[in-house]
Amino acid sequence: MAYYNVSRPSEKLTWRERIYLPELFKGLRITTRHFVVNLALHAVRLLGIKTRRRGAVTFQYPEERRPLSPRLRTRHRLTKREDGMPRCVACMMCETVCPADCIYIVAGELPDPNVEKYPVRFDIDLGVCVFCGFCVEACPEDAIRMDTGILEIASDSREEMIYSIDRLLSG
Amino acid sequence: MAEKVHCTIDGRTVEPRRGQTILQVADELGIYIPRYCYHPGLSIAGNCRICLVSVEKAPKPQIACYTQVQEGMTVWTHNEAAQKARRGVLEFLLVNHPLDCPVCDQAGECWLQDYYMQFGLYTSRLREDKIKKAKAKVLGPAVILDAERCILCTRCVRFCNEIAGTHELEVFQMGAHEELGTYPGVELKNPYSGCVVDICPVGALTDRDFRFKARVWYLSEQKSVCPGCATGCNIRVHFNQKRTHHALGKRVMRLKPRYNPHVNDWWMCDEGRYGYRWIDEGRLLVPQKRRDGTYVDLDWDQALSDVASGLRAVMDKHGPSSVAVLPSPQQTNEALYLVRRLFAEHLGVRHVDFWIPPATQGYHDDFLIKADKNPNSAGARLLGLFPRDGSPAAEEFLLNHGPLKALYVFRHDLLGRYGEEALRPLLGNLELLVYQGTNRNATSRRADYVLPSAAYMEEHGTFVNFKGRVQRLFQCLEPLAQSLPDWKILVRLAVLLGLELGHSGQEEIFLDMAREIPALDGLDYAALGDQGVESDFSGIPLWPKTVNRQRSNVSREQPAHLPRVTNDE
Amino acid sequence: MAEAGIALIKIAVVLGFVLNLAALLTWAERKQSAVIQDRIGANRASVFGLRLFGLFHIAADALKMLTKEDHVPQTAEKFIHGAAPFISFFFALMGFAVIPFGDVLRVGGREIPLRILDLNIGILFIFAAIALEIYGSVLAGWSSGSHYATLGGMRGSVQMFSYEIAWGVSLLGIFMVYDSLDLNRVVLRQGDLLWGVLPKWGIVTQPLGFLLFLAAGMAITKRVPFDLPEGESEIIGYFVEYSGMKFGLFFLTDFVLTILISALLATLFFGGYQLPYLEPDGFRFPWGATWSLDHYTVVFLQFVALVLKIVFFCWLLLAVRWTYPRFRYDQLMDLGWKVLFPLAVANVILTGLVLTLIE
Ligand code: SF4
Ligand code: SF4
Ligand code: SF4
Ligand code: SF4
Ligand code: FES
Repeated sequence: MAYYNVSRPSEKLTWRERIYLPELFKGLRITTRHFVVNLALHAVRLLGIKTRRRGAVTFQYPEERRPLSPRLRTRHRLTKREDGMPRCVACMMCETVCPADCIYIVAGELPDPNVEKYPVRFDIDLGVCVFCGFCVEACPEDAIRMDTGILEIASDSREEMIYSIDRLLSG
Repeated sequence: MAEKVHCTIDGRTVEPRRGQTILQVADELGIYIPRYCYHPGLSIAGNCRICLVSVEKAPKPQIACYTQVQEGMTVWTHNEAAQKARRGVLEFLLVNHPLDCPVCDQAGECWLQDYYMQFGLYTSRLREDKIKKAKAKVLGPAVILDAERCILCTRCVRFCNEIAGTHELEVFQMGAHEELGTYPGVELKNPYSGCVVDICPVGALTDRDFRFKARVWYLSEQKSVCPGCATGCNIRVHFNQKRTHHALGKRVMRLKPRYNPHVNDWWMCDEGRYGYRWIDEGRLLVPQKRRDGTYVDLDWDQALSDVASGLRAVMDKHGPSSVAVLPSPQQTNEALYLVRRLFAEHLGVRHVDFWIPPATQGYHDDFLIKADKNPNSAGARLLGLFPRDGSPAAEEFLLNHGPLKALYVFRHDLLGRYGEEALRPLLGNLELLVYQGTNRNATSRRADYVLPSAAYMEEHGTFVNFKGRVQRLFQCLEPLAQSLPDWKILVRLAVLLGLELGHSGQEEIFLDMAREIPALDGLDYAALGDQGVESDFSGIPLWPKTVNRQRSNVSREQPAHLPRVTNDE
Repeated sequence: MAEAGIALIKIAVVLGFVLNLAALLTWAERKQSAVIQDRIGANRASVFGLRLFGLFHIAADALKMLTKEDHVPQTAEKFIHGAAPFISFFFALMGFAVIPFGDVLRVGGREIPLRILDLNIGILFIFAAIALEIYGSVLAGWSSGSHYATLGGMRGSVQMFSYEIAWGVSLLGIFMVYDSLDLNRVVLRQGDLLWGVLPKWGIVTQPLGFLLFLAAGMAITKRVPFDLPEGESEIIGYFVEYSGMKFGLFFLTDFVLTILISALLATLFFGGYQLPYLEPDGFRFPWGATWSLDHYTVVFLQFVALVLKIVFFCWLLLAVRWTYPRFRYDQLMDLGWKVLFPLAVANVILTGLVLTLIE
């Protein structure tokens, strides 16, 4: 069997480290420095003085939003054909691959023999979904995407967390 | 013994019989050679060419399914030349093949997919447009065709010609435009048409009944025996427990034949194949009791103690001859045996008969389908559950108004069969009507007590087919809702009626039964295996072997009103 | 009568101070951790748009806890389950009875000692209170009728008993140096000057004792890095089956204990209410300068000094909590039994030797 030698920094502690106390102080010094510096920065900015640094890296979320990476996996949507029908052909690849077992598809027959199959029901239980994106990877039809940019998925009941095909189609 | 030849396959020296093909020999050796058109149950066509193997001294690869072994032949089934040839054949087969796998019901059990993954794995070199053919074309009541997916192996054609003998299918056109179809004005409509779906190695012929119901990889499989007629075709039950939403909670998805050379080979009839819906529809779910025209749910303890005390009251008042029991040839031997122990022997009930003659003679042919639409008539006969000592047959004591006060019916739909009118005198006379069965029917709607029992897929057990072959059923599913296997109900009822049967499983019952019944002598579930054992019960007194436990009122002669039992059909 | 009135006033002052500080600490912990970690921290609760650095979160939290469902598991010993948080909370508060927040206040010819209970074995009283406080957590764990909680309670009791030994022994040095168990006496003696300059605070005479006491004290407050009994999100502790205000009480008990440890640290090692060079009649600096102050100012200054010291230690304890990761249980036991305890004993022996030598 192949193996790799992984070189790690020595796990032997130095004498100083083993005494432990100096290291404790070192740690405390770091946190205290952050505390003092940040507090000072906060105070100065509170007085209206502009500083190059801010005391916190926080985004004040509902008002301030971070730009999302285009690759970020956000809430699912089902893509459509030109005629508005879902691209999904109910092949159940996504349902099969889903590690959380949270996709529920029931297939139906479409008169158009070039499509044949379409989802009568397509539910994703977002309360269970782990946002792994496997469903997107597995889809042979590019019918499901996780690019809505919607992160706020919350509701008052479990039932509402189950997104039906209409909600998923309307983006 | 046929003449032997000597040859070498993949370096192994073998001595097959002359006349065997390379593919057959390889199969015996456990060497798998890909095949599409070859089917052991059909004639050899040799047209798909996927089975190419290298034969030394032959100028080019040979098809294994048609080439017979010769003295001194040396075959390489998996050398480079053979692999390359097969990969080429696969590429040709897929030239006009649509990329339908997402919507194709065959996906997951498709031989194209399998072989592509095993030795295809090429990147498509096709630049031209693919040839269009008929899609989603309905061929008959059971089968739908996608001609684009067809690889023209002609298995289906040969099936219709050779097995069904109905000649509906043919390959039309020429060259790349060759297309499978039915003759004009002909439907693929024969009693065995579902089999073409089984043998079609790709998704060209698919099952209309199973269409889009579930993906095959969600299905679980268990062995069973078709209860559709006395043949007892061996089947595989495909059921869905992983994605129950796919068929709105229905569990059984489809039935497939299971190879058994002694019974049905690779085939089964459509009636049996599609006759599974009652497993999930119209089932009786809870024990019930009729009160003022409506039914109220009971728990099992309550229901059984009510039934027991009802039976007891009738027996005390009117004697055992006022009670009739109608076991069903749809029940397993295990259940029937307990019926016998409890009613015929323990309670001394004399009116016991499993045979309610059907209103019309059922369809039958000389292949698989039998007129007797029950899987276990032979078992019931074996167990002696028919009138003895000159007592009347069921039809007689039901219709000619014997002094019946209590009637215990298993599964039979008496009202459906004879109609309300004919049975009115009987029903008026009855003090207790117990219906124990799987599904709602006209009789269950009239019964005083309804006891839901498990269907054949929901219990282990055995059936005896018309030839006397004892075959095993394996439990596929849990009994639906509160229903219980017949044997469990009977064991519990027996306790309440003062008989401690003490069985805790089907096999125990079977062993007891095998000890008593000569035809089953020495059998157990392991001995039955998957394919069953032919019990030789012609000429042997049907009943009984020993007398240590038996009462004397058991008959030894065949009942006159039944079709004769033979072994040589 | 007047005695009783005065006692009540003192209780009110101390309770008011401790409880308010404890509530503030809940806020301080969130804010301090935020600042340490370059965050902003809770700032959403607002009254009429006024946010006040999230100070309203204290009230919001209290409101939330009070209105939350008080869930009692079916398997719980109902009465004990209900009583446990109160036991914890009560005994934690009791410790403050003997903390001196001043020497004596002279009003109208009356001498009022500035502590609730003038006990000459004050520190033992605190030991007793804290030992009883443990019952709160053990009972909570056991009475919840849940294995997780029971195990948490067990872990808690073992940890606290173990550390209380090191804790107690680490203080022996102090009492040998100051020759008293009466906390006020200890504080008064810390007012002396060493070599005429250095205040004779415990930190000077007992530096090792201080470190040991600090470490063991943190273990007794069950806070990070010693929070194995609670281990809120990972190992689950004794109050896992608590919700609502009962949980709130446990939560608050931790902070009360933090304040108690801070108060003890200030009292025993940092001169309690003593300000360097502040004598009962004003400042007297070693270089000869003086600044006379009247009695009330002195008492007030001393009180403020104590409060500032307590607040500082609270800050320190919070900073520690946000600096170190949690110990593993064997490490915890090793530290208690194999490091702190022997060191404490060594400290006692060393102190004895030095004291004998000086004499
Ligand atoms: S993101 Fe992952 S868990 Fe969520 S639905 Fe898709 S496959 Fe399932
Ligand atoms: S994988 Fe794509 S096409 Fe298949 S069912 Fe899922 S969304 Fe539909
Ligand atoms: S026949 Fe096989 S390869 Fe062709 S579409 Fe169906 S599953 Fe795919
Ligand atoms: S339909 Fe199927 S069985 Fe018939 S020829 Fe085509 S591939 Fe073969
Ligand atoms: S299997 Fe041999 S040619 Fe088809």
